[in-house]
Amino acid sequence: MDKRQLRDILGSDEIPPAGDNARKKAVNLALAAFDDAQRDKEKRRQGFRVWGRLTGRTNSTTGRRPMTRQYVFGGMATATAVVLGIGIYGTLNTNVMMAPEFGWIAESLDSTAEPVGGTATEEREVAAKLKTAAPPRQDRRLALRSALTAPAVSSGVPAERLRQSLKKENFSRGTGLSDTVERSFRSQPGVAASSPVIQPAPEPPRMQFDAAGRDQFANVEQNTVKHVAEDPVSTFSIDVDTASYAFVRRMLSRGVLPQKNAVRIEELINYFDYDYPTAATRERPFEPTVTVTPSPWKTGNKLIHIGIRGYDLEPAQRPRSNLVFLLDVSGSMGAPDKLPLVISSMKLLLETLTPDDTVAIVVYAGAAGTVLEPTKVAEKHKILAALDRLHAGGSTAGAAGIRQAYALAEGTFDKKAVNRVILATDGDFNVGISNRGELKGFVERKRDSGVFLSVLGFGQGNLNDHLMQTLAQNGNGIAAHIDTLNEARKVLVEEASSTLFPIAKDVKIQVEFNPETVAEYRLIGYETRALRREDFNNDKVDAGDIGAGHTVTAIYEITPVGGERIIGDSRYRKAETPKKAAGLADEYGFLKIRYKLPDADASRLISTPIKASGEGAAARQMREVRWATAVAAFGQLLKGGKYTGGLSYDDVIAMARAAKGDDEFGYRAEFINLVRLARSASALPRN
Amino acid sequence: MTEPSEQSALIKQAQSGDRAAFESLVRGHYDVMYRMAFKWCGDKADAEDITQNACIKLARSIDTFRFQSEFLTWLYRLVINTAKDWAKARPRQAVEQTIEIERAEAPVGEDKVYARQIMAYVQTMSDREKSALFLVFGEGLSHRQAATVMACRESTVSWYIHEARKKLRSFQELERRHG
Repeated sequence: MDKRQLRDILGSDEIPPAGDNARKKAVNLALAAFDDAQRDKEKRRQGFRVWGRLTGRTNSTTGRRPMTRQYVFGGMATATAVVLGIGIYGTLNTNVMMAPEFGWIAESLDSTAEPVGGTATEEREVAAKLKTAAPPRQDRRLALRSALTAPAVSSGVPAERLRQSLKKENFSRGTGLSDTVERSFRSQPGVAASSPVIQPAPEPPRMQFDAAGRDQFANVEQNTVKHVAEDPVSTFSIDVDTASYAFVRRMLSRGVLPQKNAVRIEELINYFDYDYPTAATRERPFEPTVTVTPSPWKTGNKLIHIGIRGYDLEPAQRPRSNLVFLLDVSGSMGAPDKLPLVISSMKLLLETLTPDDTVAIVVYAGAAGTVLEPTKVAEKHKILAALDRLHAGGSTAGAAGIRQAYALAEGTFDKKAVNRVILATDGDFNVGISNRGELKGFVERKRDSGVFLSVLGFGQGNLNDHLMQTLAQNGNGIAAHIDTLNEARKVLVEEASSTLFPIAKDVKIQVEFNPETVAEYRLIGYETRALRREDFNNDKVDAGDIGAGHTVTAIYEITPVGGERIIGDSRYRKAETPKKAAGLADEYGFLKIRYKLPDADASRLISTPIKASGEGAAARQMREVRWATAVAAFGQLLKGGKYTGGLSYDDVIAMARAAKGDDEFGYRAEFINLVRLARSASALPRN
Repeated sequence: MTEPSEQSALIKQAQSGDRAAFESLVRGHYDVMYRMAFKWCGDKADAEDITQNACIKLARSIDTFRFQSEFLTWLYRLVINTAKDWAKARPRQAVEQTIEIERAEAPVGEDKVYARQIMAYVQTMSDREKSALFLVFGEGLSHRQAATVMACRESTVSWYIHEARKKLRSFQELERRHG
């Protein structure tokens, strides 16, 4: 092959142009990183570089010293440390399988062959490399050893010193080795700063269908088809959480289908903003938009689409915020996508607050207690400094974390303000009250006193989704799963007002179907939010809240009378001919929505009939309806596609593409990509 | 893209903390970075991901650009490093899956198929060989410039190119034999 030919092929311009969304996102993220870097520069912080940790693999590209020097020292240090490590390991465990160990050494040596740049970043990179190189079911010791070798590679800790400090400790007995090494290691100056490296390495992701991960999800049956003659009324509470969507995205982007219980269809649907008409006044904070469309997956069936959009507050109308962050800083939060992301997220949230708002920080596990007394946002530098001082580490010492957080919130309680505790955790709810029932009751009582709770889940692998949901539901807050900085931006900045300022609480929806026109119905999603029929009018029963500008969508699938039914007639019960109510033959049902204003105890009612005629609506509304339908279809497919017939992922992609609309922030484009990923993931072998 | 003098002025402003200057710098170079990333990984979505990471990295490391080399050269290095890091962090299987899908979607002519085969084969080479090939043949850099990007000696680049071409030749032989 001659040079010209090569030039033609490699230099060809046959490159699909980059997507506008991707470009927008990249530029915005870069600008955010730039801002942060500038702030960093001003303060000349040491040791804790938030942005440096987010990806965990930054690599300063210039200022590299000639590779020879470092190569020699680094290589020697690694080799010595590895030999030392193996020696220790070997003497303690005579039945060590040696073969994989050597592979690992080869890897670690290989990693030093690259020119070595900035120490801190390089350390992490090597550590990450070692982690991936280690066999999947590694023990703590192995992780420790990789930690042991990693800093030696780059920070140039003389191997001799390492050996001495190891010698000082007596570890003739096999137990406690890890502790000893860890202690001796921590005592090294200059190494302590990199303590996150000494975390037990997480298991590498498994590339297969994950039917039972370690993340905990409540087992919930999908809503079934109901016979209108027997059960004409459907009641549920609204749900504005989005945690499920982020989890699904995370699994899919790793090429794995999410667990079925992790998919909550209503949360997928409500992840997106819909362009529904807004309400005019704060007193009547939303208008339902009802649309009837043919079902895309079953001919003859109809979808009833109920959309609600909360009244949006003008910035000037926003109440003051009194926020207490309750942060988990246990050892497990050390991963780059956990505490460092929490801190970056908090900084993003800070940007949206006004100088008059107050912020306090309480941490639990390890260093328990108040890190920052309630501070006005006007003194932002104090808050930032407190955030920067945080670091993950220590065992989970059950501190009185949550009580302390609430005590602080109550100390600065302002009846006119939004008083809220924001709990950020990776699933460890050891917040001082270990009994779940008690914790739930505690949150409930505090809610009644006016302090609300939101829960932000970080990381993955240890997530207790069910408890997160329960707490947020009982605390009148949202539960969101934050896996990337972009998601943090969405939840905390773009939706700050809806996340923080409720405009209506205890919002319940009840639909009574007309047996004359509807034979069967099924509510898509909202399984965890089902309410009893009598709960609807009972103001004591808690339900979901809706924030400023939030949109909520619910979809029913109905089979009109005469359509193909799933449930057959009863042989013994006479089919009652429904009493003909005059003039109602045009209605599929009657929609009722109950809500309370944020500071009220008595509920109000909004009701509207669902007309059978007049299918369709304005083009804009239809587009939003179609989008919601596509998301609902996707969610149902992920849950097994019990009711969706022959619908495939490709159909979903087609539907979604047609309804994408302006998609200003690229979330809808991302969804379409997720469907593609699901399509390929579903082709993988399952076990 | 901007004039060289204008460009270095932009970089200096960005280094001194000018947000607008940095923004136009990123916007102006997004396509270059994307093109580079695309050639590296051969997939649109992946290239977008890599470019995004590279943009973030650029924000953090713009200060370290010392005007000792050309900015573009420096940028290539940044993108290549980002791409390598990205590939390391990414599960292998998923990558192959997506590539196949993208390929299947776009119908192409005969000669393109051949070019794609070559491209796909280049993807399987070692990172350094791949870098050398792309920089010299894809981007039209001289061996010396490529050496700056790859932080190695000029002769090393020539060696990589030689090796890579040798491999390509035997690949072609194989193709020809199997039709």
